[in-house]
Amino acid sequence: MSSHREAPEISKDPVADSTDLYAFVSPDEPDTVTLIANYVPLEGPDGGPNFYEFGEEVLYTINIDNDADGQAEIVYQFRFENHVTNPGTFLYNTGPVQSLTDPNWNRRQTFSVTRVDIDGGRTTSTVLGTELACPPCNIGPLSTPTYPALAAAAVHSLAGDVRVFAGQRAEGFYVDLGSIFDLGILRPFEQDHATFGLQGTGIGQMAAGVNATKALNVHSIAIQVPKEQLTANGRAPSQVSSANSVIGVWTAAYRQKVRVHDDDGGHVWAGPYVQVSRLGNPLVNEVLIPMGSKDYWNSQAPAGDSRFASFFSNPQLAQLLPVLYPGVFPKLAAYNAGPPAPNRADMVAILLTGIPAGLIPGFQNFTGTTQADLLRLNMAIAPASNPQNTGLLGNDVAGFPNGRRVFDDVVTIELRALAGAVLSLVDPAFTPDGAAGAIHQGLTSGPSDVAAMGTENYLNAFPYLGIPHSGFSVPAA
Amino acid sequence: MAGVSRRTFLGRGSLAVAAAGVLSAVPGLSGLIGAAETEGPAADATVADGTAASLTEPLVAHVRDISTGEISVFNGTREVILRDPQLANRLLRAAR
Repeated sequence: MSSHREAPEISKDPVADSTDLYAFVSPDEPDTVTLIANYVPLEGPDGGPNFYEFGEEVLYTINIDNDADGQAEIVYQFRFENHVTNPGTFLYNTGPVQSLTDPNWNRRQTFSVTRVDIDGGRTTSTVLGTELACPPCNIGPLSTPTYPALAAAAVHSLAGDVRVFAGQRAEGFYVDLGSIFDLGILRPFEQDHATFGLQGTGIGQMAAGVNATKALNVHSIAIQVPKEQLTANGRAPSQVSSANSVIGVWTAAYRQKVRVHDDDGGHVWAGPYVQVSRLGNPLVNEVLIPMGSKDYWNSQAPAGDSRFASFFSNPQLAQLLPVLYPGVFPKLAAYNAGPPAPNRADMVAILLTGIPAGLIPGFQNFTGTTQADLLRLNMAIAPASNPQNTGLLGNDVAGFPNGRRVFDDVVTIELRALAGAVLSLVDPAFTPDGAAGAIHQGLTSGPSDVAAMGTENYLNAFPYLGIPHSGFSVPAA
Repeated sequence: MAGVSRRTFLGRGSLAVAAAGVLSAVPGLSGLIGAAETEGPAADATVADGTAASLTEPLVAHVRDISTGEISVFNGTREVILRDPQLANRLLRAAR
Protein backbone atom coordinates (compact mmCIF):
# COMPACT_ATOMS: atom_id res chain seq x y z
CA MET A 1 0.00 0.00 0.00
CA SER A 2 1.04 3.61 0.03
CA SER A 3 1.64 3.55 3.74
CA HIS A 4 -1.19 1.32 4.93
CA ARG A 5 -0.03 -1.13 7.61
CA GLU A 6 3.51 -0.48 6.41
CA ALA A 7 5.35 -1.34 9.62
CA PRO A 8 4.86 -4.12 12.15
CA GLU A 9 3.91 -1.98 15.16
CA ILE A 10 1.64 0.55 13.49
CA SER A 11 -0.19 -2.19 11.61
CA LYS A 12 -1.65 -3.13 15.00
CA ASP A 13 -2.85 0.43 15.71
CA PRO A 14 -5.08 1.41 12.75
CA VAL A 15 -6.46 4.67 14.12
CA ALA A 16 -2.93 6.06 14.39
CA ASP A 17 -1.75 4.57 11.09
CA SER A 18 -1.22 7.26 8.46
CA THR A 19 -2.03 5.84 5.05
CA ASP A 20 -1.68 8.66 2.55
CA LEU A 21 -0.73 12.31 2.46
CA TYR A 22 -1.73 14.77 -0.23
CA ALA A 23 -0.59 18.36 -0.79
CA PHE A 24 -1.63 20.34 -3.85
CA VAL A 25 -2.67 23.76 -5.03
CA SER A 26 -6.46 23.59 -4.93
CA PRO A 27 -7.63 23.40 -8.55
CA ASP A 28 -10.83 25.34 -7.88
CA GLU A 29 -9.29 27.72 -5.32
CA PRO A 30 -5.79 28.29 -6.70
CA ASP A 31 -4.91 30.84 -4.03
CA THR A 32 -5.05 28.03 -1.49
CA VAL A 33 -3.29 24.77 -0.78
CA THR A 34 -5.13 21.65 0.29
CA LEU A 35 -3.47 19.24 2.69
CA ILE A 36 -5.05 15.83 3.33
CA ALA A 37 -3.78 13.25 5.81
CA ASN A 38 -5.51 9.89 5.74
CA TYR A 39 -5.68 7.46 8.64
CA VAL A 40 -7.43 4.16 9.47
CA PRO A 41 -6.54 1.88 6.56
CA LEU A 42 -8.71 -0.56 4.68
CA GLU A 43 -12.11 0.24 6.15
CA GLY A 44 -14.72 -2.24 5.03
CA PRO A 45 -17.77 -0.03 4.40
CA ASP A 46 -20.09 -2.50 6.16
CA GLY A 47 -17.96 -2.74 9.29
CA GLY A 48 -20.67 -2.19 11.92
CA PRO A 49 -21.95 -1.89 14.50
CA ASN A 50 -18.77 -0.19 15.68
CA PHE A 51 -18.12 1.82 12.59
CA TYR A 52 -14.75 3.44 12.06
CA GLU A 53 -13.63 6.62 13.77
CA PHE A 54 -10.51 8.56 14.68
CA GLY A 55 -8.58 7.73 17.83
CA GLU A 56 -9.72 9.79 20.77
CA GLU A 57 -6.32 9.52 22.44
CA VAL A 58 -4.27 10.11 19.31
CA LEU A 59 -2.78 13.50 18.55
CA TYR A 60 -2.84 13.96 14.78
CA THR A 61 -0.65 16.55 13.09
CA ILE A 62 0.04 17.99 9.66
CA ASN A 63 3.45 19.63 9.69
CA ILE A 64 4.90 22.24 7.36
CA ASP A 65 8.56 23.08 6.90
CA ASN A 66 8.83 26.38 5.05
CA ASP A 67 12.48 27.26 5.58
CA ALA A 68 14.21 24.12 4.33
CA ASP A 69 15.56 22.83 7.63
CA GLY A 70 13.46 19.66 7.81
CA GLN A 71 11.77 21.00 10.96
CA ALA A 72 8.20 22.18 11.29
CA GLU A 73 7.54 25.88 11.42
CA ILE A 74 3.78 25.32 11.28
CA VAL A 75 1.89 22.45 12.88
CA TYR A 76 -1.82 21.83 12.55
CA GLN A 77 -2.96 19.69 15.45
CA PHE A 78 -6.20 17.72 15.44
CA ARG A 79 -7.81 16.15 18.53
CA PHE A 80 -10.98 14.08 18.52
CA GLU A 81 -13.65 13.48 21.13
CA ASN A 82 -16.37 10.84 21.20
CA HIS A 83 -19.94 11.52 22.25
CA VAL A 84 -22.39 8.72 23.02
CA THR A 85 -26.04 9.71 23.23
CA ASN A 86 -27.41 6.45 24.61
CA PRO A 87 -25.00 3.93 26.10
CA GLY A 88 -27.93 1.57 26.62
CA THR A 89 -28.11 0.47 23.00
CA PHE A 90 -25.65 -1.42 20.84
CA LEU A 91 -26.63 0.61 17.83
CA TYR A 92 -24.49 3.23 16.10
CA ASN A 93 -27.74 4.89 15.11
CA THR A 94 -31.29 4.24 16.25
CA GLY A 95 -32.94 5.60 13.11
CA PRO A 96 -32.06 7.57 10.01
CA VAL A 97 -29.32 10.15 10.53
CA GLN A 98 -30.39 13.21 8.60
CA SER A 99 -28.30 15.93 10.20
CA LEU A 100 -25.08 16.23 12.18
CA THR A 101 -27.17 16.82 15.32
CA ASP A 102 -29.74 14.13 14.66
CA PRO A 103 -30.62 12.40 17.97
CA ASN A 104 -30.80 9.11 16.08
CA TRP A 105 -27.01 9.23 15.73
CA ASN A 106 -25.77 7.50 18.84
CA ARG A 107 -21.98 7.65 18.56
CA ARG A 108 -20.46 10.72 17.03
CA GLN A 109 -17.13 12.54 17.01
CA THR A 110 -16.14 16.16 17.20
CA PHE A 111 -12.70 17.60 16.76
CA SER A 112 -10.56 20.62 17.45
CA VAL A 113 -7.94 22.27 15.26
CA THR A 114 -4.99 24.17 16.65
CA ARG A 115 -2.31 25.89 14.61
CA VAL A 116 1.11 26.06 16.25
CA ASP A 117 3.69 28.45 14.84
CA ILE A 118 7.28 27.72 15.76
CA ASP A 119 9.87 30.46 15.46
CA GLY A 120 13.12 29.20 16.82
CA GLY A 121 12.41 28.19 20.40
CA ARG A 122 9.20 30.19 20.62
CA THR A 123 5.86 28.62 19.89
CA THR A 124 2.50 30.27 19.47
CA SER A 125 -0.67 28.22 19.58
CA THR A 126 -3.89 29.41 18.00
CA VAL A 127 -7.08 27.42 18.39
CA LEU A 128 -8.80 27.59 15.04
CA GLY A 129 -11.87 25.58 15.94
CA THR A 130 -13.43 23.41 18.62
CA GLU A 131 -16.35 21.01 18.76
CA LEU A 132 -16.36 20.70 14.99
CA ALA A 133 -18.59 17.89 13.84
CA CYS A 134 -17.35 14.90 11.89
CA PRO A 135 -19.87 13.22 9.58
CA PRO A 136 -21.06 9.71 10.36
CA CYS A 137 -19.80 6.76 8.39
CA ASN A 138 -21.77 5.98 5.25
CA ILE A 139 -23.90 3.05 6.37
CA GLY A 140 -26.69 2.73 3.85
CA PRO A 141 -29.97 4.09 2.48
CA LEU A 142 -31.87 3.68 5.76
CA SER A 143 -29.23 4.95 8.18
CA THR A 144 -27.62 7.71 6.11
CA PRO A 145 -30.12 8.46 3.35
CA THR A 146 -28.74 11.90 2.53
CA TYR A 147 -25.06 11.16 2.91
CA PRO A 148 -23.61 13.76 0.50
CA ALA A 149 -25.52 16.51 2.33
CA LEU A 150 -24.38 15.19 5.71
CA ALA A 151 -20.78 15.19 4.59
CA ALA A 152 -21.07 18.65 3.04
CA ALA A 153 -22.34 19.99 6.35
CA ALA A 154 -19.16 18.71 7.97
CA VAL A 155 -16.97 21.05 5.90
CA HIS A 156 -16.24 23.84 8.35
CA SER A 157 -15.14 27.37 7.52
CA LEU A 158 -12.73 28.79 10.08
CA ALA A 159 -11.21 32.19 10.61
CA GLY A 160 -8.61 33.24 8.09
CA ASP A 161 -10.41 31.62 5.15
CA VAL A 162 -9.36 28.18 6.33
CA ARG A 163 -11.62 25.21 5.62
CA VAL A 164 -11.42 21.89 7.36
CA PHE A 165 -13.04 18.47 7.19
CA ALA A 166 -12.43 15.31 9.18
CA GLY A 167 -14.28 12.11 8.52
CA GLN A 168 -14.81 9.10 6.31
CA ARG A 169 -13.98 9.23 2.62
CA ALA A 170 -13.66 6.77 -0.24
CA GLU A 171 -10.11 5.50 -0.52
CA GLY A 172 -8.44 7.45 -3.29
CA PHE A 173 -5.17 5.57 -3.49
CA TYR A 174 -5.18 2.77 -6.03
CA VAL A 175 -2.88 -0.20 -6.35
CA ASP A 176 -2.85 -3.76 -7.64
CA LEU A 177 -1.64 -4.97 -4.31
CA GLY A 178 -2.09 -8.65 -4.92
CA SER A 179 0.16 -8.49 -7.93
CA ILE A 180 2.93 -6.29 -6.60
CA PHE A 181 3.37 -8.09 -3.31
CA ASP A 182 3.38 -11.51 -4.94
CA LEU A 183 7.13 -11.18 -5.34
CA GLY A 184 6.93 -8.18 -7.62
CA ILE A 185 4.68 -9.23 -10.49
CA LEU A 186 4.67 -6.13 -12.68
CA ARG A 187 2.86 -5.22 -15.86
CA PRO A 188 3.53 -5.27 -18.79
CA PHE A 189 6.26 -7.90 -18.54
CA GLU A 190 4.73 -10.30 -16.04
CA GLN A 191 5.40 -13.14 -18.45
CA ASP A 192 9.12 -12.42 -18.13
CA HIS A 193 9.20 -12.93 -14.34
CA ALA A 194 11.86 -15.42 -13.30
CA THR A 195 9.21 -17.18 -11.14
CA PHE A 196 11.91 -18.75 -8.98
CA GLY A 197 11.79 -21.77 -11.23
CA LEU A 198 8.10 -22.43 -10.62
CA GLN A 199 6.14 -23.77 -13.58
CA GLY A 200 2.50 -23.23 -14.49
CA THR A 201 2.03 -20.23 -12.25
CA GLY A 202 -0.46 -18.62 -14.61
CA ILE A 203 0.98 -15.17 -14.16
CA GLY A 204 1.60 -14.90 -17.88
CA GLN A 205 -2.13 -14.59 -18.40
CA MET A 206 -2.79 -11.64 -16.10
CA ALA A 207 -5.97 -9.78 -16.88
CA ALA A 208 -6.56 -6.11 -16.29
CA GLY A 209 -5.34 -4.65 -13.05
CA VAL A 210 -7.20 -5.24 -9.82
CA ASN A 211 -7.58 -2.19 -7.63
CA ALA A 212 -7.24 -3.63 -4.15
CA THR A 213 -8.74 -0.54 -2.53
CA LYS A 214 -11.64 0.19 -4.85
CA ALA A 215 -14.36 -0.80 -2.36
CA LEU A 216 -12.69 0.51 0.79
CA ASN A 217 -12.92 3.68 2.82
CA VAL A 218 -10.51 5.68 4.92
CA HIS A 219 -10.64 8.54 7.41
CA SER A 220 -9.38 11.87 6.12
CA ILE A 221 -8.20 15.02 7.84
CA ALA A 222 -8.35 17.74 5.20
CA ILE A 223 -7.49 21.39 5.58
CA GLN A 224 -7.46 24.12 2.94
CA VAL A 225 -5.28 27.11 3.71
CA PRO A 226 -4.49 30.34 1.83
CA LYS A 227 -0.97 30.01 0.46
CA GLU A 228 0.37 33.05 2.24
CA GLN A 229 -0.40 31.41 5.57
CA LEU A 230 2.12 28.68 4.76
CA THR A 231 5.10 30.62 3.44
CA ALA A 232 8.11 31.71 5.47
CA ASN A 233 7.71 35.37 4.55
CA GLY A 234 3.93 35.48 4.81
CA ARG A 235 3.48 36.45 1.18
CA ALA A 236 1.75 34.47 -1.53
CA PRO A 237 4.32 32.67 -3.70
CA SER A 238 4.57 33.85 -7.27
CA GLN A 239 7.99 32.77 -8.53
CA VAL A 240 8.62 29.09 -9.20
CA SER A 241 12.33 29.66 -8.70
CA SER A 242 11.90 31.19 -5.23
CA ALA A 243 12.66 29.18 -2.11
CA ASN A 244 9.69 30.93 -0.53
CA SER A 245 7.41 29.00 -2.88
CA VAL A 246 8.35 25.56 -1.60
CA ILE A 247 6.97 23.85 1.48
CA GLY A 248 7.72 20.40 2.84
CA VAL A 249 4.79 18.55 4.40
CA TRP A 250 4.43 15.48 6.55
CA THR A 251 1.82 14.04 8.84
CA ALA A 252 2.51 12.36 12.14
CA ALA A 253 0.46 10.74 14.88
CA TYR A 254 1.36 10.63 18.53
CA ARG A 255 0.29 8.69 21.58
CA GLN A 256 1.20 9.11 25.20
CA LYS A 257 3.94 6.75 26.31
CA VAL A 258 2.02 4.72 28.87
CA ARG A 259 -1.32 2.95 28.72
CA VAL A 260 -2.57 1.01 31.72
CA HIS A 261 -5.54 -1.30 31.35
CA ASP A 262 -7.90 -1.29 34.30
CA ASP A 263 -9.83 -4.31 35.51
CA ASP A 264 -13.13 -2.77 34.47
CA GLY A 265 -12.41 -2.44 30.74
CA GLY A 266 -11.19 1.10 31.04
CA HIS A 267 -7.69 2.39 30.72
CA VAL A 268 -5.58 5.40 31.55
CA TRP A 269 -2.80 7.17 29.68
CA ALA A 270 0.22 8.94 31.08
CA GLY A 271 3.44 10.54 29.95
CA PRO A 272 4.59 12.70 27.08
CA TYR A 273 3.43 12.18 23.54
CA VAL A 274 5.67 10.12 21.29
CA GLN A 275 5.48 9.73 17.55
CA VAL A 276 4.05 6.39 16.44
CA SER A 277 3.42 7.09 12.76
CA ARG A 278 4.63 9.49 10.09
CA LEU A 279 4.28 9.94 6.39
CA GLY A 280 5.73 12.29 3.81
CA ASN A 281 6.18 10.69 0.41
CA PRO A 282 4.15 7.60 -0.44
CA LEU A 283 5.71 4.15 -0.29
CA VAL A 284 8.89 5.21 1.52
CA ASN A 285 8.50 3.19 4.69
CA GLU A 286 6.54 0.61 2.74
CA VAL A 287 9.11 -0.16 0.08
CA LEU A 288 12.44 1.49 0.87
CA ILE A 289 12.90 1.01 4.60
CA PRO A 290 13.83 -2.55 5.61
CA MET A 291 11.81 -4.59 8.08
CA GLY A 292 14.22 -4.12 10.94
CA SER A 293 14.04 -0.33 10.72
CA LYS A 294 10.36 0.30 9.93
CA ASP A 295 9.17 0.85 13.50
CA TYR A 296 12.20 3.00 14.23
CA TRP A 297 11.48 5.06 11.12
CA ASN A 298 7.97 5.73 12.33
CA SER A 299 9.31 7.04 15.65
CA GLN A 300 11.80 9.50 14.14
CA ALA A 301 11.46 13.07 12.93
CA PRO A 302 12.17 13.70 9.23
CA ALA A 303 15.06 16.05 9.97
CA GLY A 304 17.18 13.05 10.96
CA ASP A 305 16.53 11.05 7.81
CA SER A 306 20.15 11.19 6.68
CA ARG A 307 20.60 8.14 8.89
CA PHE A 308 18.40 6.25 6.42
CA ALA A 309 19.98 7.71 3.28
CA SER A 310 21.55 4.45 2.11
CA PHE A 311 18.08 2.97 1.63
CA PHE A 312 17.37 5.75 -0.86
CA SER A 313 20.74 5.89 -2.61
CA ASN A 314 20.83 2.13 -3.17
CA PRO A 315 17.22 0.90 -2.97
CA GLN A 316 16.73 -2.82 -2.61
CA LEU A 317 13.87 -2.88 -5.13
CA ALA A 318 16.11 -1.33 -7.79
CA GLN A 319 18.53 -4.16 -7.17
CA LEU A 320 15.78 -6.77 -7.39
CA LEU A 321 14.15 -5.66 -10.64
CA PRO A 322 16.86 -7.04 -12.97
CA VAL A 323 16.96 -10.24 -10.93
CA LEU A 324 13.20 -10.78 -11.05
CA TYR A 325 13.07 -9.88 -14.74
CA PRO A 326 16.18 -11.25 -16.42
CA GLY A 327 16.98 -9.35 -19.59
CA VAL A 328 14.25 -6.73 -19.11
CA PHE A 329 16.40 -4.15 -17.32
CA PRO A 330 19.91 -4.70 -18.71
CA LYS A 331 21.03 -1.10 -18.26
CA LEU A 332 19.83 -0.98 -14.69
CA ALA A 333 21.56 -4.31 -14.06
CA ALA A 334 24.83 -2.91 -15.35
CA TYR A 335 24.41 0.23 -13.26
CA ASN A 336 23.72 -1.84 -10.16
CA ALA A 337 26.76 -4.01 -10.77
CA GLY A 338 29.07 -0.99 -11.01
CA PRO A 339 31.70 0.14 -10.65
CA PRO A 340 31.14 2.66 -9.29
CA ALA A 341 28.73 1.52 -6.60
CA PRO A 342 25.13 2.60 -7.15
CA ASN A 343 24.38 6.11 -5.98
CA ARG A 344 20.80 6.91 -6.80
CA ALA A 345 20.96 10.68 -6.49
CA ASP A 346 17.67 10.75 -8.38
CA MET A 347 15.83 8.97 -5.58
CA VAL A 348 17.56 11.10 -2.96
CA ALA A 349 16.47 14.24 -4.78
CA ILE A 350 12.89 13.13 -5.36
CA LEU A 351 12.29 11.93 -1.83
CA LEU A 352 14.82 13.54 0.54
CA THR A 353 15.90 16.98 -0.71
CA GLY A 354 13.57 17.99 -3.50
CA ILE A 355 14.57 18.49 -7.12
CA PRO A 356 16.95 21.40 -7.64
CA ALA A 357 16.53 23.99 -10.35
CA GLY A 358 18.16 23.23 -13.69
CA LEU A 359 17.20 19.57 -14.00
CA ILE A 360 13.64 20.05 -15.26
CA PRO A 361 12.86 23.24 -17.18
CA GLY A 362 10.66 25.59 -15.20
CA PHE A 363 10.60 23.46 -12.10
CA GLN A 364 12.22 23.07 -8.72
CA ASN A 365 11.09 21.98 -5.30
CA PHE A 366 14.49 21.89 -3.67
CA THR A 367 14.69 22.49 0.05
CA GLY A 368 18.44 22.38 0.54
CA THR A 369 20.80 19.69 1.65
CA THR A 370 18.95 18.60 4.77
CA GLN A 371 17.75 15.12 3.95
CA ALA A 372 14.17 14.63 5.11
CA ASP A 373 11.26 12.63 3.75
CA LEU A 374 8.86 15.47 3.07
CA LEU A 375 6.17 15.85 0.44
CA ARG A 376 7.52 18.98 -1.25
CA LEU A 377 5.17 21.34 -3.01
CA ASN A 378 6.12 24.33 -5.10
CA MET A 379 3.05 26.44 -4.49
CA ALA A 380 3.85 28.88 -7.31
CA ILE A 381 3.02 26.23 -9.90
CA ALA A 382 -0.57 26.54 -11.02
CA PRO A 383 -2.91 23.56 -11.23
CA ALA A 384 -2.57 21.73 -14.52
CA SER A 385 -5.18 22.34 -17.20
CA ASN A 386 -4.51 18.86 -18.60
CA PRO A 387 -3.35 16.85 -15.61
CA GLN A 388 -1.43 13.62 -16.05
CA ASN A 389 -1.65 10.88 -13.45
CA THR A 390 2.04 10.23 -13.99
CA GLY A 391 2.81 13.71 -12.64
CA LEU A 392 6.29 14.94 -13.27
CA LEU A 393 7.11 11.84 -15.33
CA GLY A 394 4.30 12.90 -17.65
CA ASN A 395 5.64 16.47 -17.88
CA ASP A 396 2.91 17.66 -15.52
CA VAL A 397 4.83 19.74 -13.00
CA ALA A 398 1.73 20.20 -10.84
CA GLY A 399 1.75 16.52 -9.92
CA PHE A 400 3.76 14.12 -7.81
CA PRO A 401 6.51 14.48 -6.74
CA ASN A 402 5.59 18.15 -6.75
CA GLY A 403 3.21 17.58 -3.90
CA ARG A 404 0.62 14.94 -4.58
CA ARG A 405 -2.92 15.12 -5.96
CA VAL A 406 -5.62 12.61 -5.14
CA PHE A 407 -5.49 10.99 -8.57
CA ASP A 408 -1.73 10.77 -9.01
CA ASP A 409 -0.63 7.20 -9.81
CA VAL A 410 2.15 7.24 -7.27
CA VAL A 411 2.79 3.50 -7.51
CA THR A 412 3.55 3.71 -11.21
CA ILE A 413 5.59 6.90 -10.79
CA GLU A 414 7.77 5.49 -8.03
CA LEU A 415 8.21 2.09 -9.70
CA ARG A 416 9.33 3.78 -12.90
CA ALA A 417 11.68 6.03 -10.95
CA LEU A 418 13.16 3.09 -9.05
CA ALA A 419 13.67 1.33 -12.39
CA GLY A 420 15.81 4.25 -13.50
CA ALA A 421 13.39 6.25 -15.65
CA VAL A 422 14.78 9.59 -14.45
CA LEU A 423 18.25 8.57 -13.31
CA SER A 424 19.72 10.22 -16.39
CA LEU A 425 18.71 13.61 -14.98
CA VAL A 426 21.48 13.35 -12.44
CA ASP A 427 23.71 10.83 -14.24
CA PRO A 428 23.86 11.77 -17.93
CA ALA A 429 25.97 8.70 -18.64
CA PHE A 430 23.04 6.45 -17.81
CA THR A 431 20.49 5.51 -20.45
CA PRO A 432 17.22 4.21 -19.02
CA ASP A 433 15.87 0.84 -20.05
CA GLY A 434 12.79 1.07 -22.21
CA ALA A 435 11.03 -1.10 -19.68
CA ALA A 436 11.43 1.54 -16.97
CA GLY A 437 8.99 3.85 -18.67
CA ALA A 438 6.60 1.06 -19.57
CA ILE A 439 5.72 -0.12 -16.07
CA HIS A 440 2.03 0.34 -15.31
CA GLN A 441 -0.57 -1.04 -12.95
CA GLY A 442 -3.30 -1.71 -15.45
CA LEU A 443 -5.59 0.52 -13.42
CA THR A 444 -5.83 3.53 -15.71
CA SER A 445 -6.55 3.85 -19.39
CA GLY A 446 -3.54 6.11 -19.80
CA PRO A 447 -1.71 9.08 -18.29
CA SER A 448 -4.62 11.47 -18.78
CA ASP A 449 -7.04 9.18 -16.93
CA VAL A 450 -7.63 10.90 -13.61
CA ALA A 451 -10.55 8.74 -12.54
CA ALA A 452 -8.82 5.45 -11.96
CA MET A 453 -10.71 2.21 -11.57
CA GLY A 454 -12.79 2.29 -8.44
CA THR A 455 -12.02 5.91 -7.65
CA GLU A 456 -14.40 7.53 -10.07
CA ASN A 457 -15.95 9.48 -7.26
CA TYR A 458 -13.16 12.00 -6.72
CA LEU A 459 -14.69 15.41 -6.09
CA ASN A 460 -13.87 18.61 -7.94
CA ALA A 461 -14.00 20.61 -4.74
CA PHE A 462 -12.81 20.35 -1.15
CA PRO A 463 -12.26 17.78 0.32
CA TYR A 464 -11.64 16.21 -3.12
CA LEU A 465 -11.69 12.60 -1.95
CA GLY A 466 -15.01 11.06 -2.78
CA ILE A 467 -18.16 10.20 -0.88
CA PRO A 468 -17.35 7.04 1.09
CA HIS A 469 -18.67 3.73 -0.14
CA SER A 470 -21.91 2.74 1.54
CA GLY A 471 -21.91 -0.38 3.68
CA PHE A 472 -25.22 -1.45 2.15
CA SER A 473 -24.08 -0.97 -1.42
CA VAL A 474 -20.55 -2.25 -1.14
CA PRO A 475 -20.45 -5.36 1.00
CA ALA A 476 -17.20 -7.03 1.83
CA ALA A 477 -15.70 -8.98 -1.03
CA MET B 1 2.61 -0.66 41.87
CA ALA B 2 -0.13 -2.29 43.89
CA GLY B 3 -0.11 -0.93 47.40
CA VAL B 4 2.11 2.00 46.51
CA SER B 5 -0.07 5.04 46.30
CA ARG B 6 1.10 8.10 44.53
CA ARG B 7 1.39 10.11 47.73
CA THR B 8 3.26 7.47 49.70
CA PHE B 9 5.47 6.81 46.70
CA LEU B 10 6.55 10.42 46.62
CA GLY B 11 6.64 10.79 50.38
CA ARG B 12 9.15 8.07 51.20
CA GLY B 13 12.19 10.19 51.71
CA SER B 14 14.35 11.87 49.15
CA LEU B 15 14.02 11.17 45.45
CA ALA B 16 17.15 12.19 43.63
CA VAL B 17 15.96 13.72 40.39
CA ALA B 18 18.65 13.18 37.81
CA ALA B 19 16.79 14.63 34.89
CA ALA B 20 13.47 16.33 34.89
CA GLY B 21 11.15 17.80 32.33
CA VAL B 22 11.87 15.42 29.50
CA LEU B 23 10.44 17.24 26.53
CA SER B 24 8.05 15.58 24.23
CA ALA B 25 9.16 15.04 20.66
CA VAL B 26 5.94 16.54 19.33
CA PRO B 27 6.61 19.70 17.33
CA GLY B 28 4.85 22.58 18.99
CA LEU B 29 3.48 20.45 21.77
CA SER B 30 4.71 22.75 24.48
CA GLY B 31 1.57 24.78 24.03
CA LEU B 32 -0.47 21.78 25.05
CA ILE B 33 1.72 20.66 27.88
CA GLY B 34 2.17 23.97 29.63
CA ALA B 35 4.76 25.21 32.02
CA ALA B 36 5.65 21.87 33.56
CA GLU B 37 7.53 20.88 30.44
CA THR B 38 9.83 23.83 30.69
CA GLU B 39 11.45 22.71 33.92
CA GLY B 40 15.18 22.36 33.66
CA PRO B 41 17.21 19.60 35.28
CA ALA B 42 16.82 19.77 39.05
CA ALA B 43 19.75 18.02 40.64
CA ASP B 44 19.04 16.31 43.96
CA ALA B 45 15.67 17.93 44.29
CA THR B 46 13.60 16.60 47.14
CA VAL B 47 9.88 16.19 46.74
CA ALA B 48 8.34 16.19 50.20
CA ASP B 49 4.76 15.82 49.17
CA GLY B 50 3.05 15.62 45.85
CA THR B 51 1.77 19.14 45.66
CA ALA B 52 3.83 20.09 42.60
CA ALA B 53 2.35 17.33 40.53
CA SER B 54 -1.19 16.84 39.38
CA LEU B 55 -3.50 14.95 41.70
CA THR B 56 -6.07 14.42 39.01
CA GLU B 57 -4.11 12.35 36.53
CA PRO B 58 -2.56 8.90 36.75
CA LEU B 59 0.98 8.50 38.02
CA VAL B 60 2.93 5.57 36.63
CA ALA B 61 6.47 4.50 37.45
CA HIS B 62 8.54 2.33 35.13
CA VAL B 63 11.70 0.83 36.59
CA ARG B 64 13.88 0.74 33.52
CA ASP B 65 17.04 -0.67 35.06
CA ILE B 66 17.07 -2.17 38.54
CA SER B 67 20.87 -2.11 38.72
CA THR B 68 21.18 1.63 38.14
CA GLY B 69 17.89 2.51 39.77
CA GLU B 70 16.68 4.30 36.65
CA ILE B 71 12.96 4.96 36.99
CA SER B 72 10.70 6.82 34.58
CA VAL B 73 7.82 8.51 36.36
CA PHE B 74 4.90 9.51 34.15
CA ASN B 75 2.26 12.01 35.20
CA GLY B 76 -0.01 13.89 32.87
CA THR B 77 2.11 14.60 29.84
CA ARG B 78 5.35 14.66 31.81
CA GLU B 79 8.10 12.09 32.21
CA VAL B 80 10.68 12.49 34.94
CA ILE B 81 13.65 10.15 35.05
CA LEU B 82 15.02 9.27 38.47
CA ARG B 83 18.11 7.34 39.47
CA ASP B 84 17.43 5.83 42.87
CA PRO B 85 18.55 2.19 43.32
CA GLN B 86 17.04 2.01 46.79
CA LEU B 87 13.64 3.12 45.55
CA ALA B 88 13.89 0.80 42.59
CA ASN B 89 14.57 -2.10 44.92
CA ARG B 90 11.70 -1.15 47.19
CA LEU B 91 9.38 -1.11 44.18
CA LEU B 92 10.70 -4.49 43.11
CA ARG B 93 10.01 -5.92 46.57
CA ALA B 94 6.54 -4.39 46.53
CA ALA B 95 5.79 -6.07 43.21
CA ARG B 96 6.66 -9.53 44.52
